[in-house]
This record gives sequence, C-alpha cells and structure tokens, in this order.
Amino acid sequence: CTDDFEELNTNPNAPVNVQPSLLLRKVIYDYGEQMSYEGFVAGGLLSQHLTALDFNLFDRHALKSPQLGGDPWPIFYRNLRDNEIIINQSQSTPAFAVYEGPALIFKAYMTAGLTDIFGDVPYTEAFKGLSGTVQPKYDLQENIYLQPGGILDNLDQGIAAIQNYSGTIRLEGDVLFNGDLQAWVRFANSLKIKALMRISAKENVNAQLQALYNGQNYISSNAQNAVFNFTDGEPNNFRMARLRAGDFNNFVMSETMEEVLEGLNDDRINVLFRPRANNSNRDNYEGLINGIDASSTSVSLADYSLAGRIFRENTGMLDANYMTAWETNFLLAEAAQKGLITAPAQQLYETGVAQAYEYWNTELPVSYLSMTGAYAANGNDPLQQIITQKWIANMINGYEGWIEYRRTGFPVFKQVSASLNNGLIPVRMPYPAEEAALNADNYKIAADATNDNSINVAVWWDE
Amino acid sequence: TVSDATGTPISFANVAERGIQNGTTTAVDGTYSITVAENAVLTFSFVGYQTATVQVNGQSTVNVTLQEGDALDEVVITALGIKRQERELGYAVQTLDAEDIQEVKSVNLVDNLQGKIAGVTVTPGATGVGSSSKITIRGEASFSNNNPLFIVDGTPVNNNSVFNFTNEAAAGFQEVDFGNGAGEINQDDIASVSVLKGPAAAALYGTRAANGAIIIETKSGGKRPGLGISYNTSFFMDSAFKLPEFQNEFGQGNSGQFEYVNGLGGGINDNISYSWGPRLDQGTLIPQFDSPVTLPDGTVVRGGDTSLYSGLPITPTPFVSHPDNLKNFYETGYTAINNIAVSNGFEKGDYRLSFTDLRSESIIPGVNLDRQTVAAKLNFRPSDKTKINASINYVNSESDNRPSNGYGSENVNYSLVAWGPRSLNIDSLRDYWQPGLEGVQQYSFNYTFFDNPYFILKENRNSFGRDRLFGNISISRELTPELTATVRSGMDYSNEKRRFLRNYSSNRFRNGAYAEHDVLYREVNTDFLLNYKKQFGDISFDASAGGNRLNQYAQTTQVQTTSLAQPGIFSLNNAASPIETFGFTSEKRINSLYAFAKAGYKNFLYLDITARNDWSSALATPFSAENTSFFYPSASTSFILSNVVELPRVIDFAKIRASYAEVGNDTDPYQTQGTFLSQTPVNSQPTFTNQDFIPNANLKPETTSSIELGFDLRLLKQRLNVDFTYYNAVTDDQILSLPIAVSSGFSQQVVNGGSVRNQGVEIILNAIPVQTPEFQWSSTVNFASSRAIVESLPQEDGRLTLGFSRVYNNSDQTVFHQVEEGGRVGDLYGTGYTRNENGDFVLTPEGRFIADPTLKKLGNYNADFTVGLTNSFQYKNFDASFLLDWRQGGILVSRTLALGAVAGQLEETSFRPEAGIVANGVVNTGTAQNPIYVQNTTAVTAESYYRQFYDRNHEENNVYDASYLKLRQFSIGYNFVLKEGAFGIFGDVADLRLSLIGRNLFAFSEIPHFDPEQLAVQGQGFVNGVEDMSYASTRSIGIKAGINF
Repeated sequence: CTDDFEELNTNPNAPVNVQPSLLLRKVIYDYGEQMSYEGFVAGGLLSQHLTALDFNLFDRHALKSPQLGGDPWPIFYRNLRDNEIIINQSQSTPAFAVYEGPALIFKAYMTAGLTDIFGDVPYTEAFKGLSGTVQPKYDLQENIYLQPGGILDNLDQGIAAIQNYSGTIRLEGDVLFNGDLQAWVRFANSLKIKALMRISAKENVNAQLQALYNGQNYISSNAQNAVFNFTDGEPNNFRMARLRAGDFNNFVMSETMEEVLEGLNDDRINVLFRPRANNSNRDNYEGLINGIDASSTSVSLADYSLAGRIFRENTGMLDANYMTAWETNFLLAEAAQKGLITAPAQQLYETGVAQAYEYWNTELPVSYLSMTGAYAANGNDPLQQIITQKWIANMINGYEGWIEYRRTGFPVFKQVSASLNNGLIPVRMPYPAEEAALNADNYKIAADATNDNSINVAVWWDE
Repeated sequence: TVSDATGTPISFANVAERGIQNGTTTAVDGTYSITVAENAVLTFSFVGYQTATVQVNGQSTVNVTLQEGDALDEVVITALGIKRQERELGYAVQTLDAEDIQEVKSVNLVDNLQGKIAGVTVTPGATGVGSSSKITIRGEASFSNNNPLFIVDGTPVNNNSVFNFTNEAAAGFQEVDFGNGAGEINQDDIASVSVLKGPAAAALYGTRAANGAIIIETKSGGKRPGLGISYNTSFFMDSAFKLPEFQNEFGQGNSGQFEYVNGLGGGINDNISYSWGPRLDQGTLIPQFDSPVTLPDGTVVRGGDTSLYSGLPITPTPFVSHPDNLKNFYETGYTAINNIAVSNGFEKGDYRLSFTDLRSESIIPGVNLDRQTVAAKLNFRPSDKTKINASINYVNSESDNRPSNGYGSENVNYSLVAWGPRSLNIDSLRDYWQPGLEGVQQYSFNYTFFDNPYFILKENRNSFGRDRLFGNISISRELTPELTATVRSGMDYSNEKRRFLRNYSSNRFRNGAYAEHDVLYREVNTDFLLNYKKQFGDISFDASAGGNRLNQYAQTTQVQTTSLAQPGIFSLNNAASPIETFGFTSEKRINSLYAFAKAGYKNFLYLDITARNDWSSALATPFSAENTSFFYPSASTSFILSNVVELPRVIDFAKIRASYAEVGNDTDPYQTQGTFLSQTPVNSQPTFTNQDFIPNANLKPETTSSIELGFDLRLLKQRLNVDFTYYNAVTDDQILSLPIAVSSGFSQQVVNGGSVRNQGVEIILNAIPVQTPEFQWSSTVNFASSRAIVESLPQEDGRLTLGFSRVYNNSDQTVFHQVEEGGRVGDLYGTGYTRNENGDFVLTPEGRFIADPTLKKLGNYNADFTVGLTNSFQYKNFDASFLLDWRQGGILVSRTLALGAVAGQLEETSFRPEAGIVANGVVNTGTAQNPIYVQNTTAVTAESYYRQFYDRNHEENNVYDASYLKLRQFSIGYNFVLKEGAFGIFGDVADLRLSLIGRNLFAFSEIPHFDPEQLAVQGQGFVNGVEDMSYASTRSIGIKAGINF
C-alpha cells in the first residue's frame, strides 16, 4: 500500500541541495538590498538624514512601531543562516573550499551589523535550527567581538582560509568582487579596522590597528569598494524606486541634514536631495525637524526637500554599501587623530572626503577642503569633521549614521519634535516582540540586562 | 374513514383530489366526505404517515389505512452514499431537501446552508459575488485544518480556495479570492444535502472527513415513467446591505487646512486624504481635484489633470459634502438563475439532464460572475442483478473582474472608505483618464497612494475562467442474493486561467504589470466495495469491506512581469522587466482499506462498527514509507425506546443514540524534507535560499477521538420533535507549523503536538404550532453551541501563534490568533493603550494615551451560540417562509474603523469641538510605585485625539461585538394547479409556482459600518475575526417562477 510513497512525497518544486554560489549570491545581494532599504526608511530616520512626514511613530522614537522597514532582526538571522550553510559546505566538501574565506568574512560583517544595533544577541547557538536548537541563548556583545568564533576571529580565519586556499576552482556568486579573493582580503582588513574602532573605547586596539595601517592591504580606493551597483530597471533596482509615490514622498530631508550640508556649503546636497517645490525665495533646500506630531502639525510637502533622484528615478547610479575606501580612510583618520595609530590624520581625512564626493557622483569643489570642509575648519574638532563627513556619505548605509553618532556623539543630533522616548535619542534597537514570545527564557536574561529591553541602555562598546 | 395500522382513526388528515384544487380534511373520528370526479385519484396524507394514493373508480366509500413512516423512516444518505433509515443511526445527521435549497438560491452553495443546520457555520467572503465562503461544522478543533469534506454522488469534490502569489510589502499584486470549490455546485441539481457532523458519521470517508462531511445527492430521473420537463427562473435585484456611516461636516485636509495643487503634496495637505480639513457646506471656495483649470487656449481641464497641465491656477469651487457619494458608487446588481431539466424514467432505469445558467452583475461596478452548469445522471439496470450509475457535472465559471482583498491601493475601499475624503465627489472620477494620456495616466483625487476606484475596477482587472468536470461511474452486481460487489471511480478536475491587468500609472506599478495564473487540480478516487446482507431470525446483519485509492494532483503557476514596455498591452511578450515565475506542484496519494458492519435486533436496537486503515504519502519521507499507516475505528448504537417500553401516549417515538469514533488526519505533502527556494535573480543570475520552516521526518497523523450522545423525541402526533446531541471530541498530536524564534534561522517548525477538546450541544426543534385544514404553521429551530478549549500545547508554556492578520508587514499592526492552555481556539490578541487596575486609561500629563506594547486578549471570534429559526406558513395555495439567523457573541477587529476613523471619515469623528477633546482617563500624579490617579482634564485637538484613539497599531479600540440577528431569507409563494390540458400543452400533473424571494435582508447589529458577517483573506488563506476593508455585502430581493410538467 505504500508503493512509490517516497517518490510521491519528494518535493518536485525545489532542490534539496544547492551549489554554494547560489546561496552566496543571494546572501550578499539580499543583505545589501534589504539593509539599503532599511537605511532609507528607518536607519535614515534614526540617523537624522531624513524625516518622515506622517505614519512616523518610529521617527518619534517609538521604535517598535515602524511603518516601513524598521525590523532588521530577521534580515540578519535569515542571511546568517544561509551563510552558515555555505560555511558548512565549504568545510565539508573540498570542492567548495574556496567559499570558506568569503563566507567567514561575510559572517563577521553581518554579525557586527547585528550586535551594533541590538547589543547582546543570540549568536553561538543561533541559526542552528536544523540541528535542533530553536531557542538560542544570547551572547554578550563583548564575547561576540572578542572570543574565538567571534567577529574579529572570523575575519582572521577568513583571511587565513583565503591565503591557505590552493585550489583552482573559482569563487562563483560573488557579486561584490567577481571572485577576486584578494579583494576579499582587503574587505576583511577594512572590516577589522572598523570593528577595532568600534570597540576602541573598551579595548586597547592600537597595535592591531597600526599593523593593519602599515600593511596597507585594505580598501583604499573607490575601485576596491565592496558595493553592489543597483540597476535602473527591475528587479535589482533600489526598492524606493518600486514603491508608491506616497511611500517615497513621505520622506524629506531632516533639519539636521539641512544644517550640516548647508553649513558645509556641500554640493552633495544636489545629489542626495532635490529642491523643494515651493522655492520662492531661492532657498532651494529645506529640511524638517524629525519626529513631528503629524496629527497636530500641518506640513506641506512642497515646503521640504525630497530625497534625490538617485533614490527613485536613477537608482542605476546608486550603490548598496558594504564597505568603502572613504569609510576606511575616515576610520584611520579618527584613529590617527585620537593617537591610536601613527598616521597622517589630515591626509587620510582629505582622501576620505575626496573619495566620498566621488562616490556620490559629485565634483569636489577646489576650495572645499580649505574652507568649510577643512580638517579643522572654523576651529572645529577634527573628530567632528571626520565623523560628520562619514555621516553624510553613509546615507542609506543601514543604521551606520546612528551607530557612529552613538559612539562619537557626532554630528550633534537634534531632539525630535514630539518624542515618544522622553526626549532621549535611542542608543539601541529593541529586541523584536517575537523573541519575547518564542525565545522567552533567553530573552528574559537579555531583557533584564537592558532594563526590560529599553532603547536607552547603551551596548557594551558604548558603555 | 382514515385510520392507522391499529385501526385508530386519524383526525385532520388531508384528503385531496389529484390534479385539481379540491380537498378536505378528516373529522375527529377520521371520517371525511368529498365530491370528486368518477375517475379521480385521491391522496391521503398526514404528518408521521406515508402518503397513500387511491383510484376512486366510481366507489362511493374509500377507506384508507395509513402506514406509519414518513419522518420516522426518513431515509438519509450516510457515508459512502449508503441510504439508511434515520432511526438506525447512532449519530447525528441533518438533511435538507431540494426545496430547502432551491426556493431561495444563493450564488455560492455554501451560503445557502447558513442557519439551516445546527452546528454549521458559514462566513461569506468580503469581495462580492464570486467570493469564497468558509464553512465549518461544530466549530474549530484543529489548529490547522477545519474544513469539512464535500461529497457529490459518492465522490469527493474539492472545496479549495487558491489565491494568487503575492508579496507582503506595500507593492505587488494584492490577494484576490476566486471562490471556493464547493461554492459552484449547482443548487438546481441537488436532491438532498446531508450533513454528517461528527467523526462517527464520517469515519468511513477517512481523514478528510475528520471535520464532518457534507453529502450531496443530485437529482435522478425518478421512477415515474415518461418524460418530465421542469423549468425555473429566479431573478434577484441586489443592493448594498450596509454602508459605512460617515461624517459629513469636514472635508479633506489636516488641521483644518486644505488646498489642492497636484495631489502629491504640492498644495496644502493635498498629499494625503485625511478629512481633518475645513468645514464643509460653509460656502467656502477651495481649489479641488475636479475644479476647473482654464488653459491658455480656453479649453478647460480638471485640477487633477496634472501630468500635462501642472502649475496652472485652479479655479476654486465650493467645498461641499457628498453624503451619498459611496451609496451612489455602488450599483444595483442582479442575479438571474435559469434552469431547465429533462427527466425520464424507463423500464430499465432513468436519466436526468439539466442545464443551468447563472449570471450575476455585482453591486461593485465592473464585477460579475457567469456560471453555466450541465448535469447528466443516468441510472441503468441492464439486468436484475446489475446496476450502472453515472453522474457527470460540467461547470464553467467566468468573471471579468474579481476585486482585490485586504488593505492596500488595489482595493477600492482603500481610496473610497479609509482614505476617501468626505469632500470627494466620487462621481467626478468616472472619467478616469487624463485628457491626452488615455491608457497612460489615470486621473484621480490624489497621486501619492490612491488609485481612482473606477480605474481599478474597469481597467486593473483580475479575470478568470474555470472549467470543471466532476462525477463518477459505478457498477454494482449482485453475486448472490446476499453478496453484492460495487466498483466506482470518480474524478474532480478543474482547470483555471487567471489574468491580472495593471495599467500604467497604477500606484503599485508605475509602468503597468501583467500576470497569468494557471491553477490545475485533479483528484481521482477509485473504490471497491463488497456487501453482505442477511437476516438471522431477529437479527439483521449487513457487512461490507472495501478499499479506496485517492490520487490528488495540484499545480499552480503564476508568471508575471511587473513592468510593461507598451502601455495597455497585456501580454508577457510586452514585458519590460524580467519575467518572474512562481509555481508549485504537489501530489498525494492515500490508500485505504475499510470494513463496516451493522446489525439490527428486532426493530429497536442497532449497532454499527467501522474500521479503516489509511496509508498517506504525505507522511512518507523521501527515504522511507514507514509511519505512513494509521488505523481508526468507530462504533455507534441506536436504541428505540418507544418500541420496547410503553411510554406516555403523548410520546410517539423515542430514540437514544451513542457513538465513539476515532479519525486520523494527515497533512499536506512535502512537510518531511527541506528544500531551497529560488529568489530574486541578481544581474540575471539565479539565487537560492533555504526554506524558512524546519521539516519533520517523523510526522505522525493527528487523531480525533469523539464521543457523541443524543436522543430523538417525537411528541403529540409528531407535532413537536426534539433532537438533542452532545459531543465531546479531543484532537491530539496536531500537525502544525509552530512559529519559532527567527534567531534559530527559521520561522516555523513542523511538529506534532497539542491537544484541543471540543464540546458542544446541538438542539433541533420541529414544531407545528397550528394545523387546521386550511392553515399550517410549522417552525424549526436549530441551536448550536461549541467550545474548543486548548488542553495542551506543543511547547511548555506561553502561547502558540496560529496565524495573524497584518496591515503592512508590521508586527505592531497585527491581530494575532493565539492559543494558550485553557484558552479557546479563535482567541484574538492585539495591543492597546495603558490602563490601570480599574480599567481606566492612564494618560500622559498632556492628556494623551500611552501605548502598551504587551499583547492582550481582545476576545474570541467564535460565537457563543447560534440559532437558526425557520417559520413556514401554508394557507391554501399560499405559503410563506422566513429564516431568522441569530449569532450571539464573538468579536470582529475592524480595519475599516481603524483606518476610517484615524483618517476622519467615519461618523465617530464628527464631534470636533474647537476646545479639543478631553480623553476619558486618569493621570498618575504619584509615582510609579505609589500611583495617585486623578481624572484627566487636559484637552487635545480632536484630530489628535481620534488619530491616536483609533490608531491601527493598537487594535483594542477597533473591536466590535459580532453578534447579530438577521433576516436571512424569505419566500412567499403561490402554487397554481394547472388543469389537465391547460394551454393545450400540460399533462395531468403540471404545476406552476410563483414566489417572491429575498436573501440577506436585514440585521440588528451593533456594527454601524458593515455586515457583521465577515471573512478576511490574507497570507494565502482566510482570516476569521477580522474585517479587512470589506466591500459592501448584498441584500437580494427577487422573484422565482417554476413549472413542472
């Protein structure tokens, strides 16, 4: 009575196993695509690049009530799961060994993004549902950064795996570097610089940073950037190009962004934003304070600047940003400025600014670096200049603008207009409600450590 | 004299001369007198007795003895199509006759069952004619599958609702409901509908009947020799049953201000269509989307014709209310159903051929349904020992447009109800293209989120055509007088093609889109059955053994492009973006062996025993077919007390019944092994991801064990009948997709676990309160109440999420269907605002509500009880019948309220004092530990108050009690008896009936905005307890005419 049952109940619609290249392509693209969208609709609000006109409880810092995006947790865990399958394939099948290094590096990259947003998160037991662990424990952020199998270790292991790889089978599915393994090593070293700077208030990272700087094997030119170039047409265009006009029009330049860009007399404003419709007195660009109470504020969209055409009409000019030369150079400039390494801080800064202008398709005005954008312009703290420049260029790079604000305090954020968080700028994202419901015991420990999952309790490197 | 078998005279029996209108009733002593023609035929009838027919042949005295029977010996169809006397049955079966179904037909068969059968709940879909209706029997006891099995002439037919592929974000195609499979079974061909409510009744149909079975027999040619023709026509006029109650004092805008410039934010608050704008009807002139714009050459266009003529001054027009704008948007719909049937009985059998044409134009503009059905049935007895039966049904259903479900811009209620400003003149939208851009750019009142509703319904259509063939052929042969063998094979095949058209300038598809969706389903059931029957003295014995093979094949393929090269050309050849394909094929087989035996002792004790073993391929892994077998038995008994002991004379009949049954339940295919799923290609290269659920290679079948007890009591010469049933069923080892923390890498895990106990009672009362020779009033009451309580869950503690309903992909804007130990299936959870222990809202010092992120129970969507009350009256040739339907309890979470109130459209928001609104709540002037609550005195603006109070992130304030009392259907009819040879064509038994009929006429309900019966569609399935931007349901009034000759 059970003839053919095995065959009948074998799913004919989808494969049981796939080549790691198919997963790698998906993980890299999906993570970049989703985090770029997050970087516009939610990260852009927290970073005060953009302001939401309405449906804006998130912009008022009720971080559990986003309208679009604002829920990065599953983006990390689903991609970490697929990435883990690549790692397992690469370690168990010699023919797939070439995938080990890139997958370990990408794991470190995504893990850093995750813990920097949330703090302590499930990690060592996480994304192992297939082997039976469906309620993973939370790991301390400190351990996630520092322990074996953690971020820094995985970056080292990834580099080592690439250096030890002697096969001739090429890396496929690599939409970042088209299989160039040395580019992955540069990516890993840039990520190390970033990770070390993140924890530099907690750990002595000087020697490691100096070695990385001296090695010069990091992403140092825009041509080496880890980016995915969005297309103009579907399906690989930026998601804001596909959404309804009203979804796009709900976001305008934030007042913080206006003040920074206008204060710097920064030409990138023409790319990042478009002139407002009601530009009567030649004041083309106007930003709006974040977090208005939409039910008691009558605002006219025409009075404010929408995001630039690059985010909707011309997304072929836009990149999903994983790691860039300018970000690396700004990190090194900061390290040098703080005396963590010996290096020419101003030169690194100026290189970074030039690269960031190039990245955003804008000609760098000759006077910019000697006037408003100068290293110590108007007696400004160079640190403020460095972080502010990075903040501008980091538009749509996930939550990076906000994360670096938390770490450095720059640029100075404004209190949101009608805060639902007692006027405080959040310093972490709350764990999602699903964790409380479905991973209750472990969640409780993590929630207890954050004053009941408060968004006002700093993560370890920010303590 | 008319008397019964014991010689006792029968009073008030009906005596009628056949063919003409001439009759009388018997006196108290059973005597009667009547003047008739010499060769007249007299019929004698009385409730509780079989009707007798006597040829007068010139006799002057005709004495008749009526045999007991009729209701007592009612023959019902049970599992495997076996006809049995109801008295023998040890479980509850309720049967509807053709007249119960055909007098007031509905477009969807399932809707026609509502209120007529105790314990059956029907919830109609939300998108007008052609929607799916959901049916459950005895409530919901399984976490995953509560669908009863539909059987037509002994063969299962599908009741599937297959939705299109969608994505969750506010982009892409919205879900569309193309109807449920059982909805299109043709009502004119139905001879009877028997509902087998519990597992005992259904044990022999196997796993799929675990939730009960609905057994439909179609009409046969009948035993009467000669050709019979019948024709009937029903015509309904349909109108909107209930429309939202709006406020009509304030128009579009925010903070009292509005001016239209381009509907994109160019003007004051013209980017979104809240009605928090200026007062209406004050004589104010404001530029609006339909205000005139005079071009330099003198031609006049509209304010909203912005694509070619932006930036020109718009001449302000009066800012006035349009209280009837939605009412005028809905049209008068109609439904016409015509059926003609030919039947013939001949020496060796009979046949019936029937053709039905159904045409329905919805009250929603541009929405329709056409359905043609051909039914053929043949019963053929080539010899005394051989019977051949064939039943074939072909159905063709088509619609030019099925409207989109749910919250989003493809549903016209999004732009007309939730976000339709009260200053909107909907009539201005009829001309929906911008001049010079026909086919390219729509004209609308807003271009940020909202599409012109006429543009959606007339241009962005979701059409379908479906061919369906179902039926079976069986042959049975008597091998010996005791032994009969039967073989039957049946099929249900349907093939459907859907097209989704989206034009340029649609909000979700700026460059248009096009999708084709093919849905194929085929199920073949082949049975064999050996039956042995013998009488041993006082014991009758009947045993059968048989087998069944079920082969199920389903295929669905959606191919789409989300951007078109040339506007208005809907073909995949015109794709301007890579063509995406979503497809799924599934196959399943269940092999079964079963046996059953029934024994009767004298005429008062009956016992049934059944046993069945199923082997389901869905429980196999790709490596092993072990664990695919499951066995389940049942036993039931019926004891007819009135045939054993002397009961008071008032009791005519008393029966006690009891049964115990188990039923196994398998699952969908492919739950035992994981796969990788194809994802968005990157630079035209393929990508894959692991599936999101963890498969389970060790799945066991679910089991339901059920006890059922009942009695059947007939009193007062059967003028009062009571049927009572109590049941108690436990479903264990439920197969479910358990949500798990995504930090595990997966969001669901397929497990066995959990236990639900479902208990309930059903009471059916039949009464004939008045019976005189000329007038009869009969009444039927169906009462049902059930409670499914969760006894254990697969996880240790907490709540299990069975499903949810979302606005956008946002966990805050979600109604969760969750269960916890001790809770009821159907409990709904959502969030609200902070309250103190007295239940008062705790407000901020500024007088505003404080969000409370913890999930709280909002209520349960199931009714506490339901009552269906049918009253029928007969006076001479007139008859009238009314069905009242009462549902008590249960809740509905309303999206119309949440969105329409936040946007200031609904009447709830008409109170807007200048001084603002002081929320009813308290403010804590103490500390968190030692609170001191004082009544709030701080006002906030009306706009601010309502926008927060009804906010969609918090469901608690958007809940209605779903109770209602409804006039479900009525009919008033007159029967003409045609004289022989009338009009020269009718034979001796022609009759003509005319009736006035109505359906869904009126309801008492606390819900002001919509029909309290609601079913939402989300996530490729139905969501109960949520009203999700529903379209108006319909009130139907019509006439029916039928003639038989």
